Amino acid sequence: MAADKDDGKGLTGFGRYAGPATLILSSLADGAKHGYALTKDIEAFAGIRLAPGTLYEALARLDAQGLIEAVESDDRRRPYRLTAAGAAVLRVHLEAQRAAADVGLRRLDLHWRPR
Amino acid sequence: MRAGGDGRRAGRLLRWYPKGWRDRYGEEFAALLISDMAERPRSLSRPFDVARGGIVARLADAGLCGFPVAGEASTASASTASAGTASLASLSVCLTVFAIVGAAMWSQLTVGWQWSAPASAATLAGMVAMSVAMMAFAALALLATLPVAWVIVARLARPGAGNVLVPSLVFTGCVAALFIGGRHFGNGWPGTGGHPWAGGFIRFGGHEWVGRGLVPGGFAAFSWAATLSVTTYWLHPAALAAFPPAEVAWMAISPLALAGAIWAVATAVRRAVLPPRVLAFQARLAGPAFLAMLLFFLGCGCWVASGGGQGLYRAGTIDAAGVCVLALALAVAGQAAWRSRRLGARI
Repeated sequence: MAADKDDGKGLTGFGRYAGPATLILSSLADGAKHGYALTKDIEAFAGIRLAPGTLYEALARLDAQGLIEAVESDDRRRPYRLTAAGAAVLRVHLEAQRAAADVGLRRLDLHWRPR
Repeated sequence: MRAGGDGRRAGRLLRWYPKGWRDRYGEEFAALLISDMAERPRSLSRPFDVARGGIVARLADAGLCGFPVAGEASTASASTASAGTASLASLSVCLTVFAIVGAAMWSQLTVGWQWSAPASAATLAGMVAMSVAMMAFAALALLATLPVAWVIVARLARPGAGNVLVPSLVFTGCVAALFIGGRHFGNGWPGTGGHPWAGGFIRFGGHEWVGRGLVPGGFAAFSWAATLSVTTYWLHPAALAAFPPAEVAWMAISPLALAGAIWAVATAVRRAVLPPRVLAFQARLAGPAFLAMLLFFLGCGCWVASGGGQGLYRAGTIDAAGVCVLALALAVAGQAAWRSRRLGARI
């Protein structure tokens, strides 16, 4: 189902959209949210406010890739939820980021000294 | 009152997006915009952000980049194929712009070589590189065209081929007009008949090369005539008015015929839907196409940077502007080629 899951590269195929896509998928990991709720949640946990155009550009790509899906709603503000493929892709991507972060932090702790 | 005003502003911003996108996301996006306007009433960046997103959505809708709007039957593999097609389309557009501007510059030099050999080593090296790249373009164009033409012909042979028939006829008409016009005006220009060089030969690489240039005079004349519209004469109406009316008409009609041919190919390819094997094959040509563009660009840059010399070899303002256009097309094509190859491997 998920193209990115197949090659084990997480969200690398999203290029410059990988940042907003990671934030959106991470936000949806604890439940469905509509656009405005996504903006507020991402601002709260990442300190980044995604502008509406940027948010929906990434949202539409994730939707087209089958990584998220719309939830039926009577409200104008349609919520989205993570699909199983989206959860798998997010996990691969975040684990790769964590590995890189762990290396960087370990090297900082072991070798870097202020001059 | 305030909500009504924000709703109207959101409606105006929504017009940046194509209809398909608005049908799918318009209502919820407008709701988000209204909430955002209530929170940040004087955001200067919001209109630019929405405009950029809308332009990207329109390019995706035209099949030139990214992913189209998710449909009911959307799957990851279908959207990967769609994104691969979009990257190939972007590359084709860049390649077409590059080839038109490049051919206009190259034909000026090839016509010049019918009269006399290039005076400087930089121009000579540039000409050889550009000519090799043009041969590579022709070979790649043939390789890319044959499977696509086969798919379209096969589609035409099946019942209900009406949606491919019209663009196919438009393409045939436009290409015929370009060919006939190019031949007519190429033959009509006295300089393209060729003249013996003053020296008769040039020395290069330990050999004496004899002849009137790298390519036959008729081919040089055809390239020159086909790209006659790429000229600074448009900026000098008085000089243009002195041209024969038929030539001015050709300068106006030939770009329209070229644009019609490009539209027809793009439409026919979109409607015929290329099979994955053809897409994967096209994606493999993306790398060599980019390398040919790079070779041409380096050769052209070498000629323009050296100033070129006298007569038709002299590099003018339009040639410097042409190099800028080539650089831009090359940069975008590089991105599209890289993306095509990566997506092609997954199709």
